[in-house]
Amino acid sequence: MNLLDIRNLSIVLKSATNPILAVDRVSLTMKEGEVRGLVGESGSGKSLLAQAIIGVLDEKWHVDADRFHWRGKDLMRLSVDERKAIISKDVAMIFQEPMACLDPTMTIGMQLTEAVDGEQLTGYFWQKNQQRKETAISLLHKVGIKQHKICLKKYPHQLNEALCQRVMIAMALAKRPILLIADEPTAAMESTNQGQIFRLLASLNQLKNMSILLISHDLENVTHWTNTITVMYSGQFVEAGTTKHIFEQPFHPYTRALVDSSPKSNSGLPAKSRLMALPGSIPILQHLPIGCRLGPRCPRAQQACVIAPKVTNYHGHQFSCHFSLKGSY
Amino acid sequence: MLIFTLRRLNLFIFTMFLLTLLSFSLSFLFPGEQLINISGQVNATPKQLMVLAEQYQTDNNIAQQYIAYISHLFQGDLGISMASQLSISNEIMSFLPATIELTLVALFIAMIFGIPIGFIAAIKHRKATDNIILTVSMLGYSIPVFWLGLLAILVFSIQLGWLPSAGQLSLVFEIEHVTGIQFIDILLSDSPYKWQAFQDASAHIFLPACVIALAPATIFVRLARTAMMDVLDSQYIRAAKAKGLSFRQIIYHHAIRNAMVHVIRDVGLQFANLVTIAMVTEVIFSWPGIGRWLIESIFQRDHTSIQGGLLALSSFIFIVHIVIDFIYAALNPLARESRNGA
Ligand SMILES: Nc1ncnc2c1ncn2[C@@H]1O[C@H](COP(=O)(O)OP(=O)(O)OP(=O)(O)O)[C@@H](O)[C@H]1O
Ligand code: SF4
Ligand SMILES: [Mg+2]
Repeated sequence: MNLLDIRNLSIVLKSATNPILAVDRVSLTMKEGEVRGLVGESGSGKSLLAQAIIGVLDEKWHVDADRFHWRGKDLMRLSVDERKAIISKDVAMIFQEPMACLDPTMTIGMQLTEAVDGEQLTGYFWQKNQQRKETAISLLHKVGIKQHKICLKKYPHQLNEALCQRVMIAMALAKRPILLIADEPTAAMESTNQGQIFRLLASLNQLKNMSILLISHDLENVTHWTNTITVMYSGQFVEAGTTKHIFEQPFHPYTRALVDSSPKSNSGLPAKSRLMALPGSIPILQHLPIGCRLGPRCPRAQQACVIAPKVTNYHGHQFSCHFSLKGSY
Repeated sequence: MLIFTLRRLNLFIFTMFLLTLLSFSLSFLFPGEQLINISGQVNATPKQLMVLAEQYQTDNNIAQQYIAYISHLFQGDLGISMASQLSISNEIMSFLPATIELTLVALFIAMIFGIPIGFIAAIKHRKATDNIILTVSMLGYSIPVFWLGLLAILVFSIQLGWLPSAGQLSLVFEIEHVTGIQFIDILLSDSPYKWQAFQDASAHIFLPACVIALAPATIFVRLARTAMMDVLDSQYIRAAKAKGLSFRQIIYHHAIRNAMVHVIRDVGLQFANLVTIAMVTEVIFSWPGIGRWLIESIFQRDHTSIQGGLLALSSFIFIVHIVIDFIYAALNPLARESRNGA
């Protein structure tokens, strides 16, 4: 049974004159204990999708899906409050820009104890405060912060980005989630810190059997840590499959370009030759091309591409392209 | 925090320097003899004038004149009133406390109503409640204060007879003048009618304070609304939602404190505006404050009093400003840091 099964999820930016389809029928499945990468250029709607899953988008967005199952339960049939209760119990998210996600006027300690789930505490109410504190400290230890005394008293702006990220992870762990969504957990971090954060997430996955949805704009960055990968482009589904398939035999021209543009695959190139990359840049929301949104940048595009391609499934490897590279391997 | 305090102290000294410089230059800018403007001695004999010229060093250069003026200020000597020939510092000491009392009560009323209403409007953004609050606050802001004051007297004092229309306290109560702040004096006094006096003073201050508070309150509504909307749109509120906190918890634990930080910073700026409104209101309600005294001095072309009164009033505004800055720093850990403090 799938942990999370989302089929054709769309997110519309509401507006009286012309509503914009920011995310266009994207599907995503996650198995228990799986680490899935969600990859796409900046602006391809990864964060929107993640926020739609945990239900924190505000009223100006409208979310719709053909199917939204959580551990076999159809969440579309439930009321908003019931859905929220289930999701916020089982799913935790660490957002992009960890520093901005901490309340600037509260100490880390207060915010961390607040995140501790009251139902996990066993004592009487006069013991609860102490228990909360102890839980907070053990959470900090779990994410590798040894000097909890100092850290608890600090305000967010007194910590660096990597420490804030650890605190955010600690907060996310507070409710013992089954699924952790990590939105660019290592953006704007030095590579040593990046490695530490990834290793921390990997150990959580192995020890706690926690599923992780790892969002990144850099395909190569996440290949080492993921089992499966979903690729998005400009709010559309591109390709999904095992990390090995995606990296070695991408069927979609966009994934091909992503793989080719990574420094690793370019390492054999002679010095000063051009790196492989797609021409142009990702369209802005106000000027989305019709049909396959990759069209204007795609080396294989033909007339048929003005109609959005359907998802093709080939031995569990899904892709959405009229003229895929399937035959070329 | 030490650096923050030092910075404020620095600012205080610099601003006081500018204020005294302005007040000093006024004595040149006003029509008439500078020496008489600065001292207020309109009936002085030539001999007395010689002594004054010596004191204020009018024969020396302008810097020395300024230093002489400052040393007079430090001795508490602001000259005497041209109109009444009374010592101006004594006059200020007897009138300023009433103004302090009135403006602080008005500020309190404006904040206690304006800020929560603004928060409610932000939480009910784009709903009927928000629109009604915005419309009413627009209306409240556009009402001229003298018209509102007269209307308030007409309705609540004359027609309904609920509240007194003039003065600070009924003459039947004999309260000793200690601090000048009526409420404190009443509490300090050992009159057997203390409690009645307190009620009477409250009744007297209520109407003028409300009239003064209306316009600033509407500004606070808008400030609080914008601040709360910004906060509710921020990343950490979204993260708090994802944590599974209820809307109530988010508002009470995170949103209000952060929005207050933004509002408090602007309260200091609004205070100067509030004092200006208070000056007009003091005239309407015959409130024995420095605003009324200053306006009377302007009518009497009492240049020495105008100088002294302006200096006292602007110092008061500035001190309130600094106090509010400290409250802001207490609420906002970012402001306490030296690298971010402005
Ligand atoms: N609050 C918003 N209002 C309007 N447009 C938005 C808003 N948030 C995101 N968008 C737009 O939605 C699109 C997708 O944004 P999203 O943040 O999901 O991208 P992303 O894939 O997470 O990119 P990044 O790697 O930069 O985080 C972008 O074009 C962005 O401009
Ligand atoms: S559908 Fe057409 S435009 Fe889109 S990726 Fe495939 S070939 Fe390129
Ligand atoms: Mg993002």
